[in-house]
Amino acid sequence: MSEKVLEIERVLESDPKQCAVLVRELLEMLEDEQWTQDDMFAIRMAVEEAVMNAIKHGNSEDRAKKVEVLIRVEPKRFYAKVSDEGGGFCPDDVPDPSEEANLEKTSGRGVKLIKTFVDECRYNACGNSVELVKRKS
Amino acid sequence: MSENLECLELDDVDSVAVVRFRDKKVMDPSRIEQMGKELLELVDDEDNQRLLINFANVSFFSSAAINKLIVLEKHVRAKGGKLRLCNLRPEVRDLFSYTSLDQMFQIDQEQVESIEALTE
Repeated sequence: MSEKVLEIERVLESDPKQCAVLVRELLEMLEDEQWTQDDMFAIRMAVEEAVMNAIKHGNSEDRAKKVEVLIRVEPKRFYAKVSDEGGGFCPDDVPDPSEEANLEKTSGRGVKLIKTFVDECRYNACGNSVELVKRKS
Repeated sequence: MSENLECLELDDVDSVAVVRFRDKKVMDPSRIEQMGKELLELVDDEDNQRLLINFANVSFFSSAAINKLIVLEKHVRAKGGKLRLCNLRPEVRDLFSYTSLDQMFQIDQEQVESIEALTE
């Protein structure tokens, strides 16, 4: 018998409010599938940061540009792909906000948190799409 | 004291301005902008040079919200004030430690510890 896989596929306008709606829908799904509160916190953090980065930094909040989000909730694995229409960035060029010299900077913290809260975080070559994987605890 | 504040509740405890967030989940971008504005306005008041942010009600805090606290911390420091944080849930506390911000912020378990440190 095949495993149950739930999907959310959305094309969002570059409006931060749409991120909140998506996250709410995702959390309800995770709760229904009995993911732990710790896992839900981690997934929420990573997805919200990824989508907000796409809206704010990728698409510069240009409503004409879209953010594509694909989410798959499998029995033991969470997967998300978030893509924007921006020019992309090189994640390795983002200063590590946890280094002393960068502590006071207000940039780069979202990328750091995404990497911290999921098991896998992969950007495409041009840096305008990210895939996230989190295994169920 | 909080009547003009949309996102924050303000209390006075032993001459320390104790701030709480009205939102349990501090993630809505427009609310975060407003929260940041209100925090900076609080510090501009000479009566609020000793500031404590109590996270008791907070279950989620985004990086954008953390950035507002960094701006606040710089502002408080520039004005010669003092800022502490307390009552962070473990998962919210982790956000600060993962990004090494526990080096920048004084974080206490309980409000009473923070008040003591701010009033000594």
